[in-house]
Amino acid sequence: MICYDHLTKIYGEGKNAVTALEDVTFSIEKGQTVILLGPSGCGKTTLLRCTNRLESITRGEILVHGQDIMDMDVIQLRRQMGYVIQDIGLFPNKTIADNIGVVPKLIGWDSQKIAARVDELLTMVRLEPEVFRSRYPVELSGGQQQRVGVARALAADPDILLMDEPFAAIDPINREQIQNEFLKLQEHLEKTIVFVSHDIHEAVKMGDKIALFDKGRLVQYDTPEILLTRPKNKYVADFVGADRALKVLGIILAKDIVNLRPRDLVKGEDSAEDVLKMMEEKGLSHAIVIAHGKPLGYVTPQKLKYKKGQVRDLVEKYPVHISERTPARDILSYMLMLDFFTLYVVDENGEFIGTVAYNDIKKKVKESYAGDLKTD
Amino acid sequence: MGVLRFIEKNLDQVLFLSSEHIFMVGLSLIIGTAIGVPLGILITKKVNLAKRVINSANIIMTVPSIALFGLMMPILALIGEGLGKVPAIVALVLYSQLPIIRNTYVAIKNVPTSVRDAGKGMGMSKWELLREVEIPIAMPVIIAGLRTAAVMNIGIAAIAAYIGAGGLGVYIQQGIDRVYPEMIISGALLVSLFAILIDGLMAGVEYLLTPKGIRLEKMLAR
Repeated sequence: MICYDHLTKIYGEGKNAVTALEDVTFSIEKGQTVILLGPSGCGKTTLLRCTNRLESITRGEILVHGQDIMDMDVIQLRRQMGYVIQDIGLFPNKTIADNIGVVPKLIGWDSQKIAARVDELLTMVRLEPEVFRSRYPVELSGGQQQRVGVARALAADPDILLMDEPFAAIDPINREQIQNEFLKLQEHLEKTIVFVSHDIHEAVKMGDKIALFDKGRLVQYDTPEILLTRPKNKYVADFVGADRALKVLGIILAKDIVNLRPRDLVKGEDSAEDVLKMMEEKGLSHAIVIAHGKPLGYVTPQKLKYKKGQVRDLVEKYPVHISERTPARDILSYMLMLDFFTLYVVDENGEFIGTVAYNDIKKKVKESYAGDLKTD
Repeated sequence: MGVLRFIEKNLDQVLFLSSEHIFMVGLSLIIGTAIGVPLGILITKKVNLAKRVINSANIIMTVPSIALFGLMMPILALIGEGLGKVPAIVALVLYSQLPIIRNTYVAIKNVPTSVRDAGKGMGMSKWELLREVEIPIAMPVIIAGLRTAAVMNIGIAAIAAYIGAGGLGVYIQQGIDRVYPEMIISGALLVSLFAILIDGLMAGVEYLLTPKGIRLEKMLAR
């Protein structure tokens, strides 16, 4: 756990003094990812660098696990926090394995243990140990280098990770991928993460909570959902953008809106006539056909008219599968592209879970914004 | 052909003077490195000192070598070493300081901030950072400084013959006095040959002491 208590940081003295952080107070729970968000010059990076004492503190204090960091040995403090920066900063003179093994070596692990840990971490960040272990940083792409950067920060298994715009310099396609992988990683790592970003999308995606800064002050500290749906003031509303309803779609996942008991479900072995009759009675435009727990596709009344036999032979396949973790933004995008307003959700094994409908998404967004009208 | 015959005839003396020459240059380079490299590193950590140190080394460079040897004589005469190898080596050490200090300083300064920041943030002490990261990255440029100093000192050491330090300069000095062209050319030729040899040798040292990752970096940057 990290507590920032009335933290103030002033650069320079007298007339030239610049206040980088002003009376910042908040705390980060163990195992949470907190995004320090704001435009450049808002103090977010300074705050991060105060946490491992790369910057000194002018007033106030920072407590890590209840202990004032100024009372701790600075080297020890830094070694229990992983540090990842935008420019990556891999050591060009060392191999990938030696880069990752820096902190373990400093704290005196034996070489066998280090080698095993290096391989474990390379596998974790999806770089093949045999291929990458003995390469040099210059031989890797930016995305690969930052994976190594993350692995290096995790090497000695610190409780806390400090990340300063770690994915900002990576191209958009790789960034998306590395973000997703990092999210998956964090699910079982459960590190306490302080993550600096200037990108609201990234913040919403990666953060359990977001601390939004403006000119050295903490403006709002809330979950992404609350930040998007109930911005405290105009600054926050402007920062999250006029399209914040669309951004909420990024945090609503399929599992949040899935309808587990859809009424437009039919079995594969049902006869075409029965299904047609049922659909006409209920006024359904299409029905999802299931066999042995797996979805086969869908049927429409037009398709079933004058047909005989089991519906399983008459299905049309769905063009996409939605998984539980697919964000509503992607689902909505599929719906608009395919002109299809009900899709089904499957688990990792392809078993049917339920359906998502356009109306479910709309309802969920509306719920999120309940009571938000006054701020607009 | 007269030159080759001169060398052949005086082979023993040639070898002796050559060894004297190499001894002076080698010793001054070792002492110069022992002073210049640590000093160059030190001034990267003390910004206000850097300018003064580099300027001082610059001033030493502007003093003509014959004058510097001359200056050494009365100073070192105080400890009874006014003539011979001691003032010569002291002067050579002084001359070597500028390329060594400046290259070391620039090389360490040029280590990317991100690399230094990452190291510090990970909990490396100043010394660990220097040993593990800064010096290895700076190595090729530091060696290049030593190389410049070595080649330069081979030339300057030839002038030390005037203060009785020996070395291949003896042939040049005596040759001039005695108007003996073969002798002058032999001395000059051997000095040049040594300079080329040492330059090649130091290039090899530079290659060997440059970490592989840095070599690759340079290759790929081309």
